[in-house]
Amino acid sequence: MSDLIFLGGEAVAHGAIDAGISAAFAYPGTPSTEIYQAIEDHAKKHGHHVRGMWSTNEKVALEEGVGVSYAGRRALVSMKHVGLNVAADPFMNVAVSGVHGGLVVVVADDPGMHSSQNEQDSRYFADFAMVPCLEPADQQQCYDFTREAFELSESLQVPVLLRLVTRLAHSRSRVKLAKARAQNVANFVADPSRFILLPANARRAYASLVDKQTALQAYSESRPDNTLTLREGKRPGILVSGLAWNYLQEALGDALQEYNLLRIGFYPLPVKKIRQLLDASSEVFIVEEGYPFIERYVSALGLMQEPPIRGKLTGDLPRMGELSQDAIKRCFGLPMRASLQIAGLADVLVGRPPSLCDKCPHTDSYLAINEVIAEFNPDARVMGDIGCYTLGAVGPLKGMHSCLCMGASIGMAIGVVHAGMGQALCVIGDGTFTHSGMTALLDAARDNTNIKVFILDNSIIAMTGGQPTMATDEEVVDLVAGLGVPRTHIRIVVPSPHKKPHTTATIREELAYTGLSVIIARRACVTYAKEIKGQKETREHKRMIQVMPV
Amino acid sequence: MNYDLVVCGVGGQGVLTLAGVIDHAIHEAGLQLKQSEVHGMAQRGGAVSAFVRMSDQAVASDLIAEGEAHMILSVEPMEALRYLQLLRPDGWIVTDITPMVNVANYPPLEALYQVLFSAPRLVALDAARLAQLAGSIKVQNTVVLGAAAMHLPLPPELFENQLRHLFARKGERIVNANINAFRMGDAASRLAAALVAAGVASDVVARAISRIAFAPQPVPAPCVNAWCQRLLQPDAGALAMRLFEGLESVAPEAVPAA
Repeated sequence: MSDLIFLGGEAVAHGAIDAGISAAFAYPGTPSTEIYQAIEDHAKKHGHHVRGMWSTNEKVALEEGVGVSYAGRRALVSMKHVGLNVAADPFMNVAVSGVHGGLVVVVADDPGMHSSQNEQDSRYFADFAMVPCLEPADQQQCYDFTREAFELSESLQVPVLLRLVTRLAHSRSRVKLAKARAQNVANFVADPSRFILLPANARRAYASLVDKQTALQAYSESRPDNTLTLREGKRPGILVSGLAWNYLQEALGDALQEYNLLRIGFYPLPVKKIRQLLDASSEVFIVEEGYPFIERYVSALGLMQEPPIRGKLTGDLPRMGELSQDAIKRCFGLPMRASLQIAGLADVLVGRPPSLCDKCPHTDSYLAINEVIAEFNPDARVMGDIGCYTLGAVGPLKGMHSCLCMGASIGMAIGVVHAGMGQALCVIGDGTFTHSGMTALLDAARDNTNIKVFILDNSIIAMTGGQPTMATDEEVVDLVAGLGVPRTHIRIVVPSPHKKPHTTATIREELAYTGLSVIIARRACVTYAKEIKGQKETREHKRMIQVMPV
Repeated sequence: MNYDLVVCGVGGQGVLTLAGVIDHAIHEAGLQLKQSEVHGMAQRGGAVSAFVRMSDQAVASDLIAEGEAHMILSVEPMEALRYLQLLRPDGWIVTDITPMVNVANYPPLEALYQVLFSAPRLVALDAARLAQLAGSIKVQNTVVLGAAAMHLPLPPELFENQLRHLFARKGERIVNANINAFRMGDAASRLAAALVAAGVASDVVARAISRIAFAPQPVPAPCVNAWCQRLLQPDAGALAMRLFEGLESVAPEAVPAA
């Protein structure tokens, strides 16, 4: 029994396994990481024939998933919300080509930015691509909707986006599993033309996608989870979607009986049901987690006057951050509960932001870089990237001065040089470098741009819990050399207190050189030493054996 | 029945492990639950929390609203105060007093304790020290769970079963350390409850409890009575302060003379 308490992410994983996926692909990112992790753990534990991997980045993960679908089998691809930006190209286009085997892309949004640089709402992406989006409210729905998403994907031959949010992905509850479905037998479609998006084919494929919208609309209207409850007489109404339903129930309690109610867990929106809700209601509150996506549509950007639409655009609910019972109570003018008051609290409570671990190699890297740039150019800015080492941006290290998106540091450093600031520096981890830093380094190598790239190689993707890196140690050196950086300016240092004199001397030499240098700070993560050893062994093993087909 | 609990501490202190033990105990008890937690960035030495909600009905929200939590269970004293807005006026705070000082502006300890020890329903104990007595500093979180157990609406044996189950693969030594830690926490909590019931001031209870080297079984009734009588003396405040600042542990039977 006890194995049936699942995180939202784990419930999605089990939904996909029981829906008969043949493969899963992902790039780790909070709050989506547990999805692929659960699939991999399940496969290891039960010898289940689900293949897949932690991919190099989200774009590659999705393309791998599309390949599985093309070959007639089912695939789950998971990522965090900003990962879908990376995967946007295949995502938009596989909507046009359509799928063969069921393809579900699960994207975990992070309203409130617990571990992210923005709170973009993936429902816009589904809408943009004209593909259906399912939005579960609890762990059971995570499981059920994932299974439904695969059925829908295969019946309408469209990819389906499943949208999670942090509080759902990272919340646990009991989940009841249903009977598992067998995997598809691999098979190609007879006529591959719709998968060849040459303009002539693409026009045909796009027309087919437009045609599918009618079926999707009908599906949305008839879907039992998009439930409309109208009561006697003209009265206020509520349109609620996804996780917001949980908060709404608790905030309003029995008072919910006083409202007309439309609950939504599927997009495109059920337009007829919304029309009925608007006609029956004196005003309509729209309660949704994330951007005011539904509210913008239903209120026509606030242009619609009758009945009044109230929500995030009107300031009735907070425009930013996460919803909560309390935010909804405030919106409906309900009293807040008293809480325990203790005198003097404010004097003894300070923030405790995350920080680099004790003895972390990144600390030593920053200390060395800081020491040398203080000598050369105290005003120098170090372009930064995304990983544990982003924590070096804050005091006392203050070692990097930008953080935009995965892999941005190298491109931004090139830009700083082009802006006329002389030499530019950047730091990037091994995982982020292979995710999306390599292409920018190719630019710098091509041009011999005067940037100093510090690759902080700790042999693992640590921030998200220790997923395998794509390249470490000499592999990083070979990659960098292969991109065209001269071996004389690929330097290796060991970021440790003991080796600091060598590290700073090396950095000094490279800063004195006008041109492209890559300085690899190589020391394994102290927190995941055991995992790193295991991953290196696994990799060696895979190189040795010939992978057998299933 | 419904009961809301905030489990908190610092990344690396086993907060999510504790939440998992409580989840499974709730599940075993046949109750419904929802438990939300913080993953990712904050786990690197930042403030970490989990919201555990149990009920005999379905639980809707993943979050605890203001003034709804019945208990804050903390592995760190400053973190015990971070979520006060969620705690009901009659809610419990159960916390380790061992500070995790990983920020430059951590408050002066005595000021922190003064505020914390003024909480009306409080179990404060030196879980780090009891964990060492139990056999491993790593069971610090389990001591705090033990201290919370008597106030939770779940039978304590469910927690012990979960601890045995969870740590079975780590060997008997770790299992025993956890069971001992749980029982030491429980012994501390029971003595604290008796002292409070006898009318001993909250801060006196906290300071005394923090310096008693509890065994993994309840303090014998005569000793409980002796502690109650001793800590109702006019000099109890000074005695508690002396014990607390002395840093030495005293055996539960060694009630200081008047």
